[in-house]
Amino acid sequence: MKATRQKKFYGVLLAPTLIFLGIFLLLPLIQLLILSFQQVDNFFEVIDGYTFSHYIEVLTTPVYLKTIWQTLFVAVITTVICLVLAYPAAYLLVRSPKRWRAFFYILLVSPLLTSVVIRTFAWIILLAQNGLVNDVLMKTSIIDEPLDMLWNMNAVIIAYVQVMLPFAVLPIATAMSDIKGNLRSASMILGSNRISTFFRVTLPLTIPGMISGAMIVFSLAAGSYITPLLVGGRMQPLLPLSIYQQIMQVYNLPLAAAMAFTLMVLVFLVIAVLGYILKKWEVRVNG
Amino acid sequence: MSGIKLEGISLDYGNHFALKEVELEIKQGEFFSLLGPSGCGKSTLLNIIAGFLGQTTGVVYIGDQDVTNIPPYKRNLGMVFQNYALFPHLSVRDNVAYGLKNKKMSKQDIKQKVDESLALVQLESYATRMPHQLSGGQQQRVAIARALAIEPNVLLLDEPLSNLDAKLRKEMQFELRRIQKSVGITTVLVTHDQEEALSLSDRIGILGDGVLQQVGEPLEVYRRPANRFVAEFIGQVNIFDAVLSEGTVYETTAGFKLEAERHESGKQPNRVRFMLRPERIFVEQHVSGEDTANRVKAVVKESSYIGNAIRIRTEAGGIELAVHAPDPMFPVLPAPGQELVLSWKKEDIIYLEVLDHESN
Repeated sequence: MKATRQKKFYGVLLAPTLIFLGIFLLLPLIQLLILSFQQVDNFFEVIDGYTFSHYIEVLTTPVYLKTIWQTLFVAVITTVICLVLAYPAAYLLVRSPKRWRAFFYILLVSPLLTSVVIRTFAWIILLAQNGLVNDVLMKTSIIDEPLDMLWNMNAVIIAYVQVMLPFAVLPIATAMSDIKGNLRSASMILGSNRISTFFRVTLPLTIPGMISGAMIVFSLAAGSYITPLLVGGRMQPLLPLSIYQQIMQVYNLPLAAAMAFTLMVLVFLVIAVLGYILKKWEVRVNG
Repeated sequence: MSGIKLEGISLDYGNHFALKEVELEIKQGEFFSLLGPSGCGKSTLLNIIAGFLGQTTGVVYIGDQDVTNIPPYKRNLGMVFQNYALFPHLSVRDNVAYGLKNKKMSKQDIKQKVDESLALVQLESYATRMPHQLSGGQQQRVAIARALAIEPNVLLLDEPLSNLDAKLRKEMQFELRRIQKSVGITTVLVTHDQEEALSLSDRIGILGDGVLQQVGEPLEVYRRPANRFVAEFIGQVNIFDAVLSEGTVYETTAGFKLEAERHESGKQPNRVRFMLRPERIFVEQHVSGEDTANRVKAVVKESSYIGNAIRIRTEAGGIELAVHAPDPMFPVLPAPGQELVLSWKKEDIIYLEVLDHESN
């Protein structure tokens, strides 16, 4: 009796969020889904009748296939770099003295507090042909010609990593601080030195954190369009940019909708696989 | 397998000493308990033996090797932790094999050793389980098997039973003693549970405020505590400060008389602190006669029943006396206000501290 009343109360607490998401996320998505099946005339005006042709176009045109492939590839690379860089940062966060921890947390999330435009301009200033990095490298005679660091995929990945790093650090730090301190002691007394202890205890026990981080970073990296637009240029073969072009320049909204849904399904698939691994692992370790 | 020798171990945290000049020799094959209240330094001392903490001064020998500068992973010790510290991502078998894999043993040897170790703790059929599928007692046994599998020089137990419920704790104590005897390994147990220390150990070291207060066999530390701290920490105790009246008869501050045996120095000290264990006091319910030495009238203040005994708080001459009477003594619990006569033998009056040697 009491339990059901409590459940009802939880329902009341959730209601505002659910209503909001229903109106502003679910309904538009349904509209978009319908749109992606609608036929267009020669001027890309929506006309009566439904068709699979937009999906067939996305999945058979070589340019779009290459774009899909590139999008996933960049997202994977970004995820891997983020995880590798996040690990030491998470370690520092967890091991730092309590009074420093808040400071490190703020430092860590500071990229998220900056507007994407400002952040991206900073990268342009740093990476441009006459930018700071090239200047320093030239002045110190490490290179003779300025490096091409902007308006390409590398720039996109660098900018992604910067802004998405906190999403990788936080879950790893959480998983790390959940490891009981005497597991490391137990490992050491059983003859493992610090490095062996890291690979046999710390690393495996932070797998859930890494998977959670990977899910967030991957889906963000696969779906962003402002960052690649600003530091990569609009010609980069990335699906979000193609969608942007279809909407803003070609005005083929149903094709854009089909691309958007293709991207969404691909991201969902990756997340589902990662989620399945995470679930498996947690059942194994925690029951 | 080896013994342990601690020479002048101190740990100085600048503003206070966690350990002060600890001298201790633990014999090979001995079951030794470090007993003390929380914060007394017993876990600190264990962590120094294990190598997780470095002492400020002093030397730790394991066997005849000075291990002061040897890291924990090279000391070849077995250790069991309070919350078991099983690796949650590894099966029981892989937990037990963990230390063996560091020893460059063949797969077959590892398997055999794991089976042996699990047999020792009677968990052969649990090898494929994950730690979360085991009860607390079973997890603790796996932890013991894991610690012993590497054939360590010494077994260190850091409050291993304190997370178990009372009944299971008793079983595991018995089990621990059985395993320790069958392996014959030098064992150091850290505990705050005096009963556990008394029932398991060959010898006990009582730590208080970072100082090793007394080292001795269970009987010795309970019956002949070295000082007031030890007396009060192990079991309940009545303590009297008394002044010599004549011969070996003393008068307590409460006004009743105690007769003790001759002091071991041959000369009776003038002022003495005595102790008397509550279970050494006889209770008579029929009040008669006058107070004499070692016999005093008392009034019940409160009594409680603990099954095999009745604990009575009494008041005699303005001070409180704790008495433990055997269960069959009272058909009903003595009521507050009831008068009793308490008496004891003079050999149960123990000299705890000499406060003043000068005789008048």
